[in-house]
Amino acid sequence: MDFDWSYTVTAMPILLNGLEFTISIAVFGIALGFILGVLAGLSRCSHNKILYHIAGIYIGIIRGTPLMVQAIYLYFAIPVMLDFNLPVLPAGILAIGLNSGAYIAEIVRGAIQSVDLGQYEAGTCLGLSKFQIYWGIVFPQAFRLMLPSLGNQFIISLKDTSILTVIGATEMTHQAMKAVSASFKTVEVYTALALMYLLLCTLLSMILKRVEGNMKL
Amino acid sequence: MKDLILSVKNLSKSYGDLEVLKDINMDVREGEVISVIGPSGSGKSTFLRCINLLEEPNSGTISYQNEVINQGKYNRRKLHREIGMVFQKFNLFPHMTVLKNITYAPQKLKIASKKEIEAKARELLSKVGLAMKADEMPNNLSGGQQQRVAIARALAMSPKILLFDEPTSALDPELVGEVLKVMKTLADEGMTMVVVTHEMGFAREVSNHLIFMENGYIVEEGDPKEIFAHPKNERTAQFLSSVL
Repeated sequence: MDFDWSYTVTAMPILLNGLEFTISIAVFGIALGFILGVLAGLSRCSHNKILYHIAGIYIGIIRGTPLMVQAIYLYFAIPVMLDFNLPVLPAGILAIGLNSGAYIAEIVRGAIQSVDLGQYEAGTCLGLSKFQIYWGIVFPQAFRLMLPSLGNQFIISLKDTSILTVIGATEMTHQAMKAVSASFKTVEVYTALALMYLLLCTLLSMILKRVEGNMKL
Repeated sequence: MKDLILSVKNLSKSYGDLEVLKDINMDVREGEVISVIGPSGSGKSTFLRCINLLEEPNSGTISYQNEVINQGKYNRRKLHREIGMVFQKFNLFPHMTVLKNITYAPQKLKIASKKEIEAKARELLSKVGLAMKADEMPNNLSGGQQQRVAIARALAMSPKILLFDEPTSALDPELVGEVLKVMKTLADEGMTMVVVTHEMGFAREVSNHLIFMENGYIVEEGDPKEIFAHPKNERTAQFLSSVL
């Protein structure tokens, strides 16, 4: 079989059209997911029963349904139910944010609970308040503990943006599919697409490694 | 006789059906050094942890400076500022430098100006022989050094009483001496101390009151040298002969 591999290079600029969309959704989605994840994760560690259960329901729903269904539901079903118009970019950000938030919540909860009990006791025995113990002693250590899994989740979410093609987000995968239907160069274009994701994820994991290294104890 | 600073009366503690402390009584006077010894599982550490309410006693009273602390609305944070604790596993804050470990609580609680707190921390570090280690991270120190930092950290709050929970049990044998030396210095300076320990040399030579516990009871107590030489209780005699 003959492939026109030069088209792989030619296809790159077409994909770059979708890069901005991909990155916007990933960056804002992950940021939203981080905030939601910290809040839900803290709620899962809280003695407040209401917060604990709200976070539990949220995590249960997200983990119990596929991202693709969540995206479709957010973009098509909810606007119909509530009678409003949700543009595709915010819908994509919300989908990635809500989805990654649930997984990040579990990462946050796990990290906080694995900080040694002796650290709380040492803080208590010095007369520190609960707030001072959590902010000054527990969270900084929990953050270091959660970095590897957090990085992993960031990479998963970055790749998950490709699923948003189903709601018509004009991100990279969408652009690639469009390019294929125009040129029929399936192998060349999808190779370019895979390489683009590989490049993005490699970059992100290099940045994460760096942060992890700097924060090592 | 010196002033009574801490008094434990009829203290009991159980976890479910398991009674770990039964009718414990103890008086601590200013400047006194009390050693608590006994076999593992005898309740020594639980007893110590009840004193600063890390464990909640089931019954009995603990009075600090003539105020009952384990009932009603006693200000626990004030109590913790005045009763310091040194742990078996040091429990230093691994993400802070040695100096920050010592200054963190005093600065958060604003017990003095920032400058004074840091000056005092450096002074305490030289006292425990670690002046050069101020900017190190705890994980770069040996166990003995970490425990000496932990002692300096507790001292930075200027506590009235210092509790030690098996402070040398997690250390390599050759590092035990440096920690005991610091503790002996504190004792000589008049610090009031309650020490749960397996170091019989310290219990005999440094402390002025000895408590032997077994099965949650205080089986025997009194002058350390007297008990080491002539234990009255059979179990005390057995224990001492097996550890000495």
